[in-house]
Amino acid sequence: MAEEKYLLEVKNLCRHFTSGKGKNKLTVKAVDDVSFAVRPAETFGLVGESGCGKTTTGRTIIRLYDPTDGKVIFDGREISGPMTKELRQYLTDNIAMIFQDPIESLNPRMTIEEIVGEGLAVRGMKDKEEIRKMVHEMLEKVGLTEEHATRYPHEFSGGQRQRVGIARAMIVKPRMIIADEPVSALDVSIQAQVINLLNDLKEEMGLTILFIAHNLSVVKYFSDRIGVMYYGRLVEVANGDDLYAKPLHPYTKALLSAIPEPNPITERTRQRVDYDPERDHDYSEEQPSMVEVEPDHFVYCSPSELKAYRKQLGIEE
Amino acid sequence: MKYIDHNIPEEILNIPAEQFELVERENIKDEKFKTEPIGFFKDAMRRMGKSKPTMISLYIIVAIIIAALIVPFFTGYKYDEQNVSFKNLPPKIPGIEKLGIADGSRVLTNRKASSLEDPDRFPEGCIIEIVNEYEYKGTPVVDVKVDYYKYLGVPEGQYHWFGTDYLGRDLMTRLFRGTRISLLIAFFSVVTNVIIGVIYGAISGYYGGKVDMLMTHFAEVLDGLPYIVMTILFMILLGPGMFSIILALCVTGWIGTSRLIRAQFYRFKGREYVLAARTLGVKDITLIFRHILPNTVGPLITRAMIAIPGAIFSESFLAYIGLGISPPEPSIGILLADGQNVLLQYPNQTLFPAILISLLMIAFNLFANGLRDALDPSQRGEE
Repeated sequence: MAEEKYLLEVKNLCRHFTSGKGKNKLTVKAVDDVSFAVRPAETFGLVGESGCGKTTTGRTIIRLYDPTDGKVIFDGREISGPMTKELRQYLTDNIAMIFQDPIESLNPRMTIEEIVGEGLAVRGMKDKEEIRKMVHEMLEKVGLTEEHATRYPHEFSGGQRQRVGIARAMIVKPRMIIADEPVSALDVSIQAQVINLLNDLKEEMGLTILFIAHNLSVVKYFSDRIGVMYYGRLVEVANGDDLYAKPLHPYTKALLSAIPEPNPITERTRQRVDYDPERDHDYSEEQPSMVEVEPDHFVYCSPSELKAYRKQLGIEE
Repeated sequence: MKYIDHNIPEEILNIPAEQFELVERENIKDEKFKTEPIGFFKDAMRRMGKSKPTMISLYIIVAIIIAALIVPFFTGYKYDEQNVSFKNLPPKIPGIEKLGIADGSRVLTNRKASSLEDPDRFPEGCIIEIVNEYEYKGTPVVDVKVDYYKYLGVPEGQYHWFGTDYLGRDLMTRLFRGTRISLLIAFFSVVTNVIIGVIYGAISGYYGGKVDMLMTHFAEVLDGLPYIVMTILFMILLGPGMFSIILALCVTGWIGTSRLIRAQFYRFKGREYVLAARTLGVKDITLIFRHILPNTVGPLITRAMIAIPGAIFSESFLAYIGLGISPPEPSIGILLADGQNVLLQYPNQTLFPAILISLLMIAFNLFANGLRDALDPSQRGEE
């Protein structure tokens, strides 16, 4: 694995939030010892329930938060070190982010042209006409018209706003996009629209996408590999098909069992699997760690669990 | 598995997958909007125009400002032109004088009845009517209503709409000149307060943490200083005048604005659009002034508008307790303080400044309320 080229490597990333002082000091481990790697031009899906640290992971990678511990390496360069002007430049040139809330993520006091063109202006582009031309091109790409450029965000629908957010991220031609639940605030028909748009743009521009979501069916449709997070930890990483066909970690099973199916007959008999870490794991004797159970399929488990998983997969040692 | 309790026909359950067709596979394309683009301020102005109290108060403010600018040039008197023989004249307004109000008349009490015949004391034609007749220690005494202008021998055709003060200066000239000065003081102190408050609050709110703590504590210490004492110190140091009053109003006046801005920055700096701009590499200063500050403009304008009558009132209060600008320059507060000395004899000298300051306060407050509603983003697009 070592010789394989990754675009983004996250190694033992931690992000803890503290509040209070002395006795009242409270530490929340939003992201705790998370490691994964993303290959160039692939889509890596990060799923998990609300509050499990997906968004924090994404924001720590792009340095909206400073990591407490661990390393993030982008294309061979560490991007988790002390922030310098040059590093900020490197980061913003290479990674862009799409946000969750289409209403919140656009400044209500700026026109679409100003919002989308800002990335270019920040990069020192002075010629207003040129910026305008590029903004218009980008708007065409995401299915909006030139005429929309002079409008304010409140005049658009949720799906349109999200596409504006995509245009804003894409216009700086990043190599990687962190999409933080880009469709969870949209209704289902619009979700497909936005996902398809992202897919088309990805193919056209050769993008790598870190796709953060809690909707498993969306992630399955969109991602090449999927990481499952639970309480700040990554519990299972596998190819999309593998994860759905043979989930190993009990939390993954629980998540998969919660997907509703558009079939009234099977839906009637669908069994929810419950996950309770106290009951499902016994870590009193053995410490769990991230282990590669089969090629490209990692699970967070203890040695005895590993044996059971291998047996389940039919791999004998 | 087969279930019999459903009513779905067999052929529907067994539609082969190939027969399904995906909807909307082609590229998405949006229509043009049919409406005109509406900017934030345009929308706010439109909504403000629909509110009657706001518009009325706006007209009142504009009228007072225009009056303050031009009236002193058209009264025909200068604000410091003294005429001691025509002091404390009652109001006399051409046109209305025939209706019996503002006709320059005044009731003189306790006059000897015999003196009415004396042309030196009561020039001819000045007596309008005898209000009351009685005796005091055997002498007939009268209360007599006179045309005070004729009584003092003011030339025919000379009118003082609001009367004159204890030095015979025209009150209307002084009132509107005073309004001008009060408005100037208010305007300058509010502008200074807003500029300092915005910068201070923006830095403290945006960076947060230790910077914020230090800055907030500094402001609190400053806020704790007694304001009157500081004003007196400024007066001693710089001498009485507009500058020291503005300075006195600015020393602590900006703290409220800075608190407001700081709170707004705390509210907006975690918004996703600010984060989005940060991921694009936008600099701090651009984030502060371009992304966050415009969103705080609503509360800021409202606050500034409310601060203007506040500053006028503070200035009047300072003038009233004798810390005003130096005479003969008038201000509303000085006129009120002067008028209050003779409130019972010549109520007009207090009445007119009082009406004007009340109008100003009410109009500015109503206007500020209207602006706040108009600039409230949650009411955006509503009627």
